[in-house]
Amino acid sequence: MSDPREVLDRLSSVRGLRGSALVSAADGLVVADSLMTGVDGRALAALAASLAIRLRRTVEAAGRRPPAFLQLQAAGGAVLAAPCGPDLVLVAIATTEANVGLARLEMLEAARRLG
Amino acid sequence: MPLVNFAAREITCKIVYYGPGRSGKTTNLQYIFERVPASRRGRMVSLATKGDRTLFFDFLPLDLGSISGFTTKFQLYTVPGQSYYASTRRLVLQGADGVVFVADSQARRADANLESLQDLHRNLLEQGVDVRQLPVVFQYNKQDLPGDLILTPQELDEALNFRSAQSYPADALHGGGVFETLKAVSEQVLRRLAARSAAG
Amino acid sequence: MRSVEPWVAAPLETFLAESSARLTLLMTASGQVIAQHGFTRSLDVMTAAALGAGIVASTEALAQMIDAPRFVSLVHQGARQHVFLSGFETPRGRWIGLVVFDGESTTGLVQLFFDRLVQELAAAAPPAAPAPRALPQDFEKDLDQSLRALFGR
Repeated sequence: MSDPREVLDRLSSVRGLRGSALVSAADGLVVADSLMTGVDGRALAALAASLAIRLRRTVEAAGRRPPAFLQLQAAGGAVLAAPCGPDLVLVAIATTEANVGLARLEMLEAARRLG
Repeated sequence: MPLVNFAAREITCKIVYYGPGRSGKTTNLQYIFERVPASRRGRMVSLATKGDRTLFFDFLPLDLGSISGFTTKFQLYTVPGQSYYASTRRLVLQGADGVVFVADSQARRADANLESLQDLHRNLLEQGVDVRQLPVVFQYNKQDLPGDLILTPQELDEALNFRSAQSYPADALHGGGVFETLKAVSEQVLRRLAARSAAG
Repeated sequence: MRSVEPWVAAPLETFLAESSARLTLLMTASGQVIAQHGFTRSLDVMTAAALGAGIVASTEALAQMIDAPRFVSLVHQGARQHVFLSGFETPRGRWIGLVVFDGESTTGLVQLFFDRLVQELAAAAPPAAPAPRALPQDFEKDLDQSLRALFGR
């Protein structure tokens, strides 16, 4: 498994990402983070983990495999999430300038290395 | 101070059974638990060691029913009697509305009774409680033992009961004096509450 | 949900909805119940409150012993259910929250929304304690009857 800090540092080089965090899926607690000032890491971790779990259950109930990538589009940007195995979720905050496609690729690669 | 909820019309009082180790505090609660109808009591919790010595506290909630439209509940606690557990005794004693001091009537436990009583007074003082105002009832347990091994209630009164509080001889194992003691302390606590409420 | 103080109800409802907690209990530091949700028997509520207050009192005493600031919260992780305990200050004195949650929630969610509950309680508390009211005049008379009925001796 890769060093979480290295993974988050690499993600921070993607244009338009305002920060990222590695979150424990079961607890909703931050494992590691690289977030800009003004972002409530604790709230992000708790809510993103909860969302990821519920979405996985929803998709599984529909008879589909667990989602590999989640994109929650908001007015000023997006919250991106990629489960890293059953225990971790990689979360990133994207502005409207973000290259979401590139961010997705980087996050999927990171999730593979962390999971 | 008892918790009085005028909106929900509920009164909750905390009674603590205090005394030296193995004087019969837990036995009192066990007897009450066995005799009070299940609808009037909750589960009895005993946080004890493997040897059945109280480690932290025993707890038994009682429902006295409705008094003037107020649901009246009592929380009965015991403290661990062994001298080792001084700090947990302080924690359990906090917020007590009434105290039952369970003394061991055996002559060889006279010093232990006195030490425990002094410990009680010290803790109450530290908590800013006026001992003269707090409802206290003495129970002289193990009066069923052979006469040459125990002190009489009069002798125990002289040794321990400096304020002439109510006192009751008891044999907690078989129930003697258990309900009399509980009734006495309940009455004192509730009468005090009524008097303070009327005074405004 | 039952609440002794009416101003507690709305913040507590919000907490319950957001956190998906199964059981929630707010109590004073000495274990007297302020509000509860999820318990079926009032006597069980009293027992849970006594145990929760005992745990928090013990950990606060431990913190004092090691010269540490008060511990903020305590989480017991179980196989299927977990317990969260936290002491906090209110305009009415020190209270304790006890929350039981399962897989429908997480430690992070409970902590997050509990902190918000504490803030909302502080904001919702009335400015001054209400004036004490008197018990009914026949309280003492009824007391005699009730004691006889319970103790029957």
